Amino acid sequence: MSTSDPAGWPPPAKAAFVQGLLCAADDDFLIGHRNSDWTGLAPMLEEDIAFSSIAQDEVAHARELYQIAGAINGESPDRIAYGRAARDYRCARLVYVADGFDWAVLIARQYLYDHFDGLRLERWRQSAHEPLAQVTHRIAAEERFHLHHVNDWLRRLSAGNADARTRIQQAIEKLWPLTPELFEEPAAVAAATTHSALPRIDASLWPAYTARIVASMEAAGLRPPADRTIPSATPPGGRNGRHAPELDEVLAELGEVFRLSPEAVW
Amino acid sequence: MLTDQIQSVLRDIQDPEMPISIIDLGIIDGVEESNGAVTIRLLPTFVGCPALDMLTRDIAEKTGALAGVSGVNVQIIHDPPWTPERISDAGREQLRRFGVTVPQRGGTEKCASEPSIGGLGSAGGAAFVPLGMTTKVACPFCGADRTRLENVFGPTRCRMIYYCDACRNPFEHMKPL
Repeated sequence: MSTSDPAGWPPPAKAAFVQGLLCAADDDFLIGHRNSDWTGLAPMLEEDIAFSSIAQDEVAHARELYQIAGAINGESPDRIAYGRAARDYRCARLVYVADGFDWAVLIARQYLYDHFDGLRLERWRQSAHEPLAQVTHRIAAEERFHLHHVNDWLRRLSAGNADARTRIQQAIEKLWPLTPELFEEPAAVAAATTHSALPRIDASLWPAYTARIVASMEAAGLRPPADRTIPSATPPGGRNGRHAPELDEVLAELGEVFRLSPEAVW
Repeated sequence: MLTDQIQSVLRDIQDPEMPISIIDLGIIDGVEESNGAVTIRLLPTFVGCPALDMLTRDIAEKTGALAGVSGVNVQIIHDPPWTPERISDAGREQLRRFGVTVPQRGGTEKCASEPSIGGLGSAGGAAFVPLGMTTKVACPFCGADRTRLENVFGPTRCRMIYYCDACRNPFEHMKPL
């Protein structure tokens, strides 16, 4: 299968590629949208700027991936981003779960996500599909700044007062059970027979992920989660369209303007 | 020659936010012309830069207005990846006067994903740890190297916020990619 010309791919290969891309695109899109909730409300001006910028980055990365997906299946990126039913989104629940306007939860969510995203981007740079390999190289360069930021915040909160340290510790522990789902694969991807265009993002990455989490938490003076085994069998989750009810609300919110006039040219 | 005229048109197009020509910014990878059909390859500074749509339209309009040009195709490409190394010397000087500094070519500025070992906390309250950079950033206004990173993120996706303890001015620094 020539990976330089998706037009020649058999339909199952196209479907697998698009489904796999949507995992990353939807993750970025939803976490970017959630981050933008904090604009105007962050504890200090620098963080208003930081999380607004991080949100812009995430949504921009989503857009690039939606464009690649759209080039494969002939859909406009806007329609892919805004026009699907909730069950057709492939994001993990971690990225859209409400943070309750708790700063520690926001940091913990971004921290747990960005370490995963870094591993996914590293793998996808090996993609035989050039447009994807090239754009992930650029996305990874931008994501390094996010990682720096969240790792830094872990240290700041841990080195703060007892309240700060307790909150960040508890926030990470609270979100930790949602991390195995990051490594779930859509059924179409798991069933595909060739993965050269889109290297697999699955449980094989879990040891590297936990190693990074342990190292960065210990460096920040925090206790890594005690249970670091990945469940061997779980019911399908977000990557297979089984979402928490709050995704409906989030999608209704972020798609509100689009739905006023889906055919509008922006 | 048509390609010279095209270069001249491109040289006159500025970045929407900073007083620097898109040529000096290093975002034009190449220009080809064949029988009036023009192809321009554009490298975004940052993925999904919000100025891209506007720039693309501007480039297409202004180049399209030249006599002898029958059509303009602006291609956005990610290879080679844009980095601040592509900013010309003249561009760096224009940015410096504007209050934006640029990582030195061949310098050691790279973004480490871990903050380097160093104290948390600094005078002024913004407790940011240096990005593992070993090259000090000189203030664009007074030239002093008593400068510090205030925020990894700034008013645009490509810029960080610094502060000069010598002349007490904030300034911005292009992110090292």
